[in-house]
Amino acid sequence: MKASRFALTVILMLAVGTTAASAQTATQTVTFAVTAVNTISFTGAPSLSVTPAAVGSSDASVSDATSTWAVTTNQSLAKVSAQINLAMPANVTLKANLQAPTVGLSNGAVTLGITSVDLVTGITKQAQSGLTATYVLTATAAADPVSSNRVVTYTISGGS
Amino acid sequence: MRPLLVVVMLLSTGASNAHGQIPLLTVSGSPSAMTVSVATAGSQPNAVSDNSTTYSALTVLLAPKKITAQVNSNMPTGVTLTITLAATTGAISAGAVALDAVARDVVTNLTNTLLETKGITYRLSATVAAGVVLIASRTVTLTLTAYP
Repeated sequence: MKASRFALTVILMLAVGTTAASAQTATQTVTFAVTAVNTISFTGAPSLSVTPAAVGSSDASVSDATSTWAVTTNQSLAKVSAQINLAMPANVTLKANLQAPTVGLSNGAVTLGITSVDLVTGITKQAQSGLTATYVLTATAAADPVSSNRVVTYTISGGS
Repeated sequence: MRPLLVVVMLLSTGASNAHGQIPLLTVSGSPSAMTVSVATAGSQPNAVSDNSTTYSALTVLLAPKKITAQVNSNMPTGVTLTITLAATTGAISAGAVALDAVARDVVTNLTNTLLETKGITYRLSATVAAGVVLIASRTVTLTLTAYP
């Protein structure tokens, strides 16, 4: 009887010790989401001056490639469009040419007007900076002398 | 009677500390929802953090512990969730640890025998490659277990 009581006590104490030494756990629920992110930025304030060509000569053009732009989008097939706040003077044309990011397609030099036009399309999941933005100012021989400025507004439209 | 008394004395030392406590790990609740939604053009989206929750832990004398952490299923591709547990007295925090379905050490050498409460920081980041991720959740399990 003494031997069995001893054995029973040992068994009981081992059970308590085993329970106390087992792992303890605690849980938390983490809720998260990633929304559509579409943002662009530009650096630089280009200045262009062109002297209209003589009558009968080709149009005169100057370009400025000192500006850069950057883009971040986590969507597919986003695009960048642009417009200016006022129409250009008669016989004067302003074009913008945006370098495409790694995944995207540039439409090359596009004439800017007060209606938005696409400059880069197909931008898919990109975060890229230092892309070149080139402006080209062209005047025909019929253009009058003018000194003015235009605000170019760029817009990124998210894809899917 | 003598063998019975010796066994009781030896086993009771390992079962609890002088206060009769057993190893313990609790948390204060769940963090607020985290959403990645902003970026600086040209850079990956901004990460977001939450440090609103805490954990409390203690162990028993001569029984150092560690805390591991894991999620119930891996995060979406391009999305990273890290956890940082501030260390209790004498313990070592592993700093920000990326969570996945494998238990990872977040605190080691936990030896405090008095209950201590420390902060938990979650950080959610996503690359553009992750795309849009609809609201989802993961269960984070913290486990207090023997160390080393």
